[in-house]
Order: sequence, then structure tokens, then C-alpha cells
Amino acid sequence: MDHHRRLSDIINFLPDATWAIDASGTVIAWNRAVEELTGVTSEQIIGRGNYEYALPFYGKRHPILIDAAISPNPEQEKNYESFVRTGDKVEAEIFVPHFRAGGVYFWGTARRLLDSSGSVVGAIETIRDITERKRIQEVMMQTEKMIMVGGMAAGMAHELNNPLGAILQHAQNIERRVSADIPANVKAAEDVGVSLDLVRAYLKKRGIFDFISHIRTAGIRASDIISKMLQFSRRGDSVTETVELSPLLDRVLELAATDYDMKKKYDFSHITVVREYAADVPQIRIIVTEIEQVLLNILKNAAQAIFAAAADREPRITVRSRLADAMVAIEIEDNGTGMDEATRLRIFEPFFTTKEVGSGTGLGLSVGYAVITKGHHGLLEVRSKPGVGSCFTISLPVSGREV
Amino acid sequence: MRVSDIGVLLVDDDEMIRDCITAYLEDEGLQVFAAASAKEGLQKIAVIRPNVCISDMNMPGMNGEEFIKNAFVLSPQTAYLLHTGMFYSLSAELLQIGMTADDVLLKPIHDLAQLSAKIKRIALSRRG
Repeated sequence: MDHHRRLSDIINFLPDATWAIDASGTVIAWNRAVEELTGVTSEQIIGRGNYEYALPFYGKRHPILIDAAISPNPEQEKNYESFVRTGDKVEAEIFVPHFRAGGVYFWGTARRLLDSSGSVVGAIETIRDITERKRIQEVMMQTEKMIMVGGMAAGMAHELNNPLGAILQHAQNIERRVSADIPANVKAAEDVGVSLDLVRAYLKKRGIFDFISHIRTAGIRASDIISKMLQFSRRGDSVTETVELSPLLDRVLELAATDYDMKKKYDFSHITVVREYAADVPQIRIIVTEIEQVLLNILKNAAQAIFAAAADREPRITVRSRLADAMVAIEIEDNGTGMDEATRLRIFEPFFTTKEVGSGTGLGLSVGYAVITKGHHGLLEVRSKPGVGSCFTISLPVSGREV
Repeated sequence: MRVSDIGVLLVDDDEMIRDCITAYLEDEGLQVFAAASAKEGLQKIAVIRPNVCISDMNMPGMNGEEFIKNAFVLSPQTAYLLHTGMFYSLSAELLQIGMTADDVLLKPIHDLAQLSAKIKRIALSRRG
């Protein structure tokens, strides 16, 4: 009896959420950790069958991992992010969207229970909440990707500067060398037996002056893109200031409301701006212009997403600040179009854009990512739901730490 | 000092850049000399003693910062400009010889007329 009791205690006190069913699918064990995780007590669930144990997780009765351990089910296995079967054991990862606000990633493993004759008499499953680990993994992957791609972008930008300089400057030299203002031009034309006036008249008639001016305009546009790319490798020599967050947020919102570019396309005055600033947010040490630029860029994107969304709800942007884990978090949430997971995962990549050609370089958010992570040792994260909206979170270290 | 008396030395390992800037400044009537390396630049600066010297930053052998430090010893009256593709803040040594953030030119220069105006302004204000 004592021996039996000790075994059941061991299951009860296992640190991972663990339960077991018999061959008919009836719950025969439900330990403390799974009680804590689900809020369902062992008294409520032991003796129940008909996939009752799926309810706390999915809100529906259907086979889960523990059932897959007993009988393989290829259709069910497709629902897992990863699924491995090794002999009697299965192991899987799954995202459960409605378990908690924002959803939860579970890792789980289950194994058949066999009797002494080797027949299957049930199964046991253990699960673990790996949401935080997944998040850290995603941040690390994102950061590695950005360091690689950002470094490449900066290297390329640097290599392009000289050829671009030659294009821009020689276009200017061509303009100068056909100019009537320079005596040397008049003389050179005479030397070869033509009049500079006629040369100029010809160039004008054939639109060549316009071509040259277009070369310069195009060169300047390319050069603007390159200077943005170079910000990836910008050395941290700008001046940092210790500032209060709330006035900074107000100023950026003011900037967004008066920005000419935005007024033209996405009028901010039609958007309700909700400010939820926490009172206890400490000062932050930042490069003010850079953080303003990042915030403004996120607000612009939010306005664009709102104007692209169906007009069945009041356009709204919520700007929040709060203190979390020695970091100051700034959230910018919109109720615009939102984005799917594939877009969300690529949103910080340089040159990734969902906007039509010419209206975005695809550099805004990637430069923002570099500014926040590399320049300020912070985090830039985004969560989103198609049709509902997106929320960008900037986390910055509390003042006192050098940037 | 007349514009035609202003001497400029351009040090850049990229021939394209030397040609572009030389052509423009010559059309403006300045006396332009070019060097394809820091080493050649040091040989020429001692002889030419230009009013203004524009140096590239990234050059094989000796970078622009080192070049200017060495060149300043040979020709302290020359005003130095650093032409660079990267964001750059002046080192303590370059600040000490009188350079300011205005003397750092970011590549690519969009409008050579501004460069030319800057050179004239510097040359005419330094020595009449």
C-alpha cells in the first residue's frame, strides 16, 4: 500500500503537467502541475472519457497527442508544428491559439502504457509551456538574420557609393560642358567647327537635357536609399540624452498629425489616438532623433494599414507605455488590416515590403530594427492578426545604462 | 587671391572619382592636382602646398585619417577635407589640427557646385 501510494505521489508531484488514460480513453491520472496549468482538478476529470481532457486546451473534444500515442492518425499529426514517433513514444510541438490571450506553444510527449504481456492498456502524456523559449528563439533568429542581411546591405551600400558618385557627378559635368556660361566650352566648339548655340539647340530638341536631369534625379533617389542602408552599420557616435517618455510620445504623435506626406495620403485627423501612458515609467537614455524616426515610421505604417482596412470600425491607434522587467515598453497598436504569419516573420527584413512599387523602399522597419536592437540594446517585436490589427512593441533599457 | 590661384589636391584611389571632381573643379577655374594613393598624395603635397586637400577615407596602405595627419606635418597651411562613404566622426587628432564636422564630406556628393563653393570659401578666407 505504501509502495502504491508513493508511486501515485511521484506522478502527482512531477514538475511537468502529466496525465494518463486507459485503453478506453478514460482519465486515470491528472497531476498537480496539469491542475495548475488548466484549472481543472483531478476530482473533476478522473473517470471521464470521450476526450474530456481536450476541453481545457482546445475547447473541443477531439483526439490529442496522448491518443496519437495509442493509435497513429496521419490527419491529426498534420496539425503539429513538429511531430516525431519513435517506437512507443511520440513527441510534438503545437501552437494553441485560445489557451491564453496571445496563445501558447506547447511541447508534449506521450507514450503507450503496456502490461506485462505487451498489450496496450493506455497512455501517459507530459506537456510543457514553451511559449517564452519560442519567443526568445524567434528574437535570436531575427537578430542573427538582421545582422547578416544588415551587414550585407551596409557593405553593398558602401561599394555602390563611388559608382553612384561618378554617375551623379558626371551628369553634372556633362551639363557644365554644354553650358553657354563657360568660355572654354565656346572655344572648344569653335575649335571643332561648330557653334555651341547649335549644339545646345540640338540637345534641347532631342530632349537630352531632360535625360541628363533624369539621370541626376534617379541618382539622388538611389543615393537616399543607400544612405538608409548605411544606417545598419552606423557607429554609435551620436549623442544620447536622458528623456521623459510621455512628452516624447506626444511630440511624435504631433509630428505624425502634421507630416505633409501623411496628410496627403493617410490623414491622421480621422484616426482616434488613444494614449495609455503608465505613470511610473522611468526616464530612458536614447538618441532622440533616431527613436522619433522609428516611432514615426511605425505610426505611418499603422495609418496605412488602417486606411487599407475595411471601414466598418472606427480607425484607432493606441499608444501605450509601461515598465516591464527593467525595460520600458512602448506599444503602438492599430486596428488596421493586420498581417499573416508569413508576412509578420519577414517584416523587419531589408527591402521586404507589401506596398506597391515606389511607395515604400522596404527599409523603414528594418532600419528601425537596427536602431532599436543594435543602437539601443532594446527589442522590437510585433504581433498581428489578419483583419484585426497589429501591435508593435519597442522595449528599451531603463536609463542608467550606456547606449 | 583669385580663383585661378586656388590649388586643390585630390587624393582618391578610385580613378572615376578623381576624374569627376577634377573635371568639375577645373571647369570652375581652379588648379587641380590628383593623387591615386596616400603615398603619392604625401609626395605631391610637400611640393604643391595646395590651399585645399580632399582625401578619400578608405584607401589601401594608408587611410584618409592617417594621410591627413602626415600631410598636415608637410603642409600645415592646407585646409583638409575628408571624403567618406560611411558615417564618420573626426578623431581627436584631426580635431586638434582644426578640422570640424563640416570638413567631412559624405559620398556621393550630390552637387559639385556646393563642393566648389566650399573650396573657394575656405581658400579665400584662409589667406587673401
